Amino acid sequence: MLARSTLAVSLGLLLVTSAWAEEKIDFARSILPLLSDKCFNCHGPDEASREAGLRLDDQESAYAELESGDRAIVPFNLAESGIIDRILTDDPDIKMPPPELGKSITPEELELLKSWIDQGAEWSGHWAFESPELSPAPNASSPWRSANSIDQFVHAKLRAANLAPAQRANKETLIRRVTLDLTGLPPSIAEVDEFLADASPNAYEKVVNRLLDSVRYGEHMGRIWLDAARYADTHGLHLDNERSVWPYRNWVIDAFNRNLPFDEFTVQQLAGDLLPAPSLDQRIATGFNRCNVTTSEGGSIDEEYYVRYAVDRVETTSTVWMGLTAGCAACHDHKFDPLTQREFYQLFSYFYSLTEKAMDGNALLPPPSVKAPSRLDTIHRNNLETQRAAVEKQLAELHANIDYQDASNDIVLRSLTKLERTWFDDSLPGVVQTSGDGESAWKYVEAPDHPVFSGKNSTRQQSDGLSQQYFEKAKQKLKVGTHDRFFTYVYLDPKNPPETIQLQFHRDSWDHRAYWGADKGYNAGKKGTTNHHMGDLPATGEWVRLEVPAGDVGLSVGNEIDGWSFAQSNGTVYWDKSGIISVLPLNSSQLESLNLWTQFREQVRHPALPSEIQAVLDVKSAERSADQQASLRKHFFEQVHPSFSTSFKQPLADQASLNQQLAELEKSIPATLVMEDLQEPRQAHVLERGEYTLPREKVDSQTPEWILPRDESGPANRLGLAQWLVNPKHPLTARVTVNRYWQHFFGTGLVKTSEDFGIQGEYPSHPELLDWLALDFIRSGWNTKRMHKQIVMSMTYQQSSHFGPDKLAVDPENRLLARGPSYRLDAEVIRDQALSVSGLLVGTIGGKSVRPYQPPGLWKPVGFGGSNTSVFKQDDGPNLYRRSMYTFWKRTAPPPSMSTFDAPDRETCQVRRARTNTPLQALVLMNDVQFVEAAREFAVRVLTEGGDDVETRLIFAFRTATSRRPTDTEIQRLKQLLVEYQTIFEKSPEAAEAIISNGDSKPNGDVDPTELSAWTIITHLLLNLSETVSKA
Amino acid sequence: MNPLRESELVETRRHFFGRTATGIGSAALASLVNPDLFANTSSSSAATGGLDGLPHFAPRAKRVIYLFMSGAPSQLDMWDYKPKMQDWFDKDLPESVRNGQRITTMTSKQSRFPIAPSMFKFNQHGQNGTWISEILPHTAGVIDELAVIKTVNTEAINHDPAITYIQTGSQLPGKPSAGAWLSYGLGSMNENLPNFVVLHSTVNGGFGGQALYARLWGAGFLSTRHQGVSLRSNGDPVLYLSNPSGMSQSMRRRMLDELAALNQERYAAVGDPEIQSRIAQYEMAYRMQTSVPELTDISDESESVLEMYGPDVKTPGTFAANCLLARRLAERNVRFTQVFIRQWDQHGNLPNDIRRQCGIIDQPCAALIRDLKQRGMLDDTLVIWGGEFGRTIYCQGKLTKTNYGRDHHPRCYTKWMAGGGIQPGIVYGETDDFSYNVTDKPAHIHDLNATILHCLGVDHERLTYRHQGRDFRLTDVHGNVIQDLLA
Repeated sequence: MLARSTLAVSLGLLLVTSAWAEEKIDFARSILPLLSDKCFNCHGPDEASREAGLRLDDQESAYAELESGDRAIVPFNLAESGIIDRILTDDPDIKMPPPELGKSITPEELELLKSWIDQGAEWSGHWAFESPELSPAPNASSPWRSANSIDQFVHAKLRAANLAPAQRANKETLIRRVTLDLTGLPPSIAEVDEFLADASPNAYEKVVNRLLDSVRYGEHMGRIWLDAARYADTHGLHLDNERSVWPYRNWVIDAFNRNLPFDEFTVQQLAGDLLPAPSLDQRIATGFNRCNVTTSEGGSIDEEYYVRYAVDRVETTSTVWMGLTAGCAACHDHKFDPLTQREFYQLFSYFYSLTEKAMDGNALLPPPSVKAPSRLDTIHRNNLETQRAAVEKQLAELHANIDYQDASNDIVLRSLTKLERTWFDDSLPGVVQTSGDGESAWKYVEAPDHPVFSGKNSTRQQSDGLSQQYFEKAKQKLKVGTHDRFFTYVYLDPKNPPETIQLQFHRDSWDHRAYWGADKGYNAGKKGTTNHHMGDLPATGEWVRLEVPAGDVGLSVGNEIDGWSFAQSNGTVYWDKSGIISVLPLNSSQLESLNLWTQFREQVRHPALPSEIQAVLDVKSAERSADQQASLRKHFFEQVHPSFSTSFKQPLADQASLNQQLAELEKSIPATLVMEDLQEPRQAHVLERGEYTLPREKVDSQTPEWILPRDESGPANRLGLAQWLVNPKHPLTARVTVNRYWQHFFGTGLVKTSEDFGIQGEYPSHPELLDWLALDFIRSGWNTKRMHKQIVMSMTYQQSSHFGPDKLAVDPENRLLARGPSYRLDAEVIRDQALSVSGLLVGTIGGKSVRPYQPPGLWKPVGFGGSNTSVFKQDDGPNLYRRSMYTFWKRTAPPPSMSTFDAPDRETCQVRRARTNTPLQALVLMNDVQFVEAAREFAVRVLTEGGDDVETRLIFAFRTATSRRPTDTEIQRLKQLLVEYQTIFEKSPEAAEAIISNGDSKPNGDVDPTELSAWTIITHLLLNLSETVSKA
Repeated sequence: MNPLRESELVETRRHFFGRTATGIGSAALASLVNPDLFANTSSSSAATGGLDGLPHFAPRAKRVIYLFMSGAPSQLDMWDYKPKMQDWFDKDLPESVRNGQRITTMTSKQSRFPIAPSMFKFNQHGQNGTWISEILPHTAGVIDELAVIKTVNTEAINHDPAITYIQTGSQLPGKPSAGAWLSYGLGSMNENLPNFVVLHSTVNGGFGGQALYARLWGAGFLSTRHQGVSLRSNGDPVLYLSNPSGMSQSMRRRMLDELAALNQERYAAVGDPEIQSRIAQYEMAYRMQTSVPELTDISDESESVLEMYGPDVKTPGTFAANCLLARRLAERNVRFTQVFIRQWDQHGNLPNDIRRQCGIIDQPCAALIRDLKQRGMLDDTLVIWGGEFGRTIYCQGKLTKTNYGRDHHPRCYTKWMAGGGIQPGIVYGETDDFSYNVTDKPAHIHDLNATILHCLGVDHERLTYRHQGRDFRLTDVHGNVIQDLLA
């Protein structure tokens, strides 16, 4: 990269040096970057490190008389200009730049400086901080028949460099290029053929329009935006647990597809939550600035992380919208650009007052978050809610129409008729054998040595820990009736009380338990009918009657029990007479009385009674509030009164069903991280050296005035910041954005350093074109699709990308654009293309991230034991074949097939990807199961769709992979290879079987394995072709 | 340089071919005709693909083996002998020592900071009588080769920022790691292996402990080709190295020949130099398919060497096996090998856990030093041992004479360095009686990184990369070479 940037500089200088004798030196282009790079360290905007009172970033200071009496720069006067002497001198004490800085002025640079001073040392600001200027497109007589304004700017430059543009690329190349660029997928043969057959003058434009309308457009553009947004599926720091912000990804895709104007795209992502009455969509958009890495590492100090998160958001926002390396000003005034440290913390202040916690809690949804239902979810929910409202209305009407007089209003239900059946007392009900694991099994003891409640004996058990005595397989079983309650009598030894007493009832199993006291009986820790808590331990030293409603332990009418167990934890306990009592229910005419029913239920509990009704019944009748009485009354009509309850039955069932459906729907609706400000903003300070422990003066939210004064009538929050960024007068936003678009289509931006438009950034290769595009973009209402179309419609874009040796020599990086773009595809596009040509691609748009193939054991060696992403579990089925933008992105161990092809780590904002070419990439394409499986499926397509003879099939395969027809030599070579492999696989059917068995999907059984395996080698080779993994 | 010549050094050219890029086509074709010609040219010390003008001066070390103890081992129980602390058992750390220094929120709410003296015996070893804990008996045997630095310090107090800091020079993600910087600056000395290799060690057969992050061996804003490549003990040692099932190496060869021929056809038609570069990458990939298995196959090691590393050496993935592998990588002139072992984060139950950890690392560390020495490689191989910060003298959790825990301590801790360029048999720096503050010769982690680069002939202030308009370096704007450590 260093080599590359030196090249760019030297190329720039080459053009300049040849011209400077006649041409005027452009200060902004040639002098300011030089001063910045070599001098600003000590003579730049940073006041703290300024030497000799001289600043060379400021015209006044640069021309002024210094403390020493010298002047650094005197226009038209080389001899008086101290700067030249200081560069020329050999005295190390005064030589500039100081030798220890390791920067020196080259002879060419010196000549440049001298010429500039000679010409009058004309000063101007840094180009990118000045408003774009509208230059008319040069009226260049172009060899291109249909040139747009872009072409005229480019062509003027080419002519100046004595270069001729290339011819238009052939149609096959063109449709492949534009389809890959706009959708990230290759064109199908049918699409290519349609284009080839279309002889109309606007055939290409038709293709472009079709692609811009394709939903794949939004996915592809969105995927690139997600690099800038540092989108990922984990928190990134320490545990690196999963987080849920993928609904934001859906939003991005959708925003591109509906061509949301870039100004709104900006405002919604930076401040959607602060818009008046923000829609759910606008809130989801703010996920942009929740994508930063966060921690919950034990021991971390909150204040430190509040600062780090806000710094990251300033850096990201500045890079993406302004191409400003603001982070440099976190510790000191920016060394090169006029951004002061104070201004940095004013920007920081916008992002310092979120309601988020410093520690993410390793949670999937560290607040603030919102539920993010899909459109379908919303329709479904609205539908259910409408239905529920109708049912509720119906219920209300039913209640309103009830005309009720309680005929038995005055009757006091004195005592309920009870039938008590003793099951066992002094002997057991036809039991052969008793068991137990305490001191003894079922030990009868007698008075007077022991307490006895009934008959001649009671049973006694003394226990150390948990024990029981029980019987089962009783011949005389005990049958449970309506409202029945088990009863028993217990005596706790006051000298040695237990912690727990428990009754267990045996039907098919013992899973019917009730306990008093501590949860230390059998099945401790469980809840419900297998271990029902009845209450505190009863009083000690006396016989107490215990009752257990059969329903509480999961027994209902008609059940028969054949075993009973007394259990206890520690202590000494006596038990006596046990059995069941039945309560005669109210008859149907009694049930028509609210009064009688209420009295009945006060005495007889029913497990099915709603807990809130039970709670009311537990209140003494005189003390019940009006509301409580009303709820009893409501329940009585709906559930008890024989005739009223019949009319309530259906609407109540409907209501319950709707409630359940709604609950299930709510549970299935994902949520996503969003922005939200504190009511009381957190006070920001300038931080000395960026240290959170060293706050200096207070600062409030504000934008740097030297870029563009902010409209003070607007809100002083993130919304104001966002509106400032998309103010049409903002010098940076539009330029930076169109430059990224340009980079997308040409591989390199007009400003190569698309992340840095500051003084240290590269001067644009076509400054007038950049300004023209920026102004055009603003004028169009920030219309992204229109801008994309404008670029791909240019003849510049449509040129052939063939490398002539002359062009390679003069302009190896193709900055002057004398040929079309050509370079390796992005990681995601390479994989998506393989899935697409093989027919494996599952086109579902949006949703939660998926886990396709990756080599086993990648997360474990780095993952923290307690992390929920320390074990990778591969998905199966369709999730293996989704577009790569949906691949689960674990930040501390990103998917290797992606990062090998330069996908950024997504820990920080990236607006420009590297494009390396390494042996590890070759290994991925050679051996990753994803590509081998895709090759096989591709081969199946060749054999089933590609015609009947070898040559037709080869052409089909080659065209599918590269969009063009193979040459005769290529056909011959592939044919030869196919024959060789057919022979190999005929001899080695195991190898054939193995080759076609790679991957989870199964090969088409109708295809001959030998044939398929040989073709798999061919298609795999095609997927590995340099041409296939490149756009040209 | 004229622009054309320079264009061959841009990203599209791989360092594996680097400065001989003009001969790339013929080299690739030669290998097609006779693959054996390239198959086993393992290494030479002539580097390709580095920057012009580097090394800045004659290097003392050609390569680095960095034994990284993730989680932060306790200097108090291994290296920094503090006998006076025996009288301070369970007494409070004087406020004058802590002096308001920030501490993690894991112990900041503790009502007391009771001192936990090390329960381990220390003895003097080597010509200088260096004090070493009883749990490092083997390392004690090679003490005369080591420079023990007791005053390493950092600002970070939590694992993630601290380990990111020492590895990349910044607490925040996004910067290149030391190995990536060296790969970028110095290029590769082996065409058949990655230039920067990372080895992860198991503890008791599994992984666990503080998390590691791809950024620790990442390339940050440098080209991704400089990032560390994990050499794994399970599955493919290098990801995607093995051919898919059903494809033999000869079938692979034939397929690659055809691929190269078709790519050449295309090159002839369109003239894109990137195509030739890609042909070369496939050849390199093919050679790696041979050179990597050969590297990891230790059947050619003598019994005496294996014995020296201890019984674990035969179990792939153990620290012992990784130390041996590190030596084999060094032999093949791999520039930077980093061995990670986790589970040093001993907030509680420290005595038991540190004994276990030392039991794992002690013998292999000593064996690595001896092994390099006996092969004459210690002279030009720099070995570094240590973690991301140290641990506190005060106890975290319950304190007894034989059981205690220690929290994170950034203000001083111990690392050692040995080999190429380093003064053997010295102890550098001194800490106070509490091993809390540096009293003499601090060694900030930036100083340490500057010194590491220095040993490799690199001026840390001059190995820079322009990113976002600024010249970044491993040591940010800090760091001084520690002259006293240099031989």
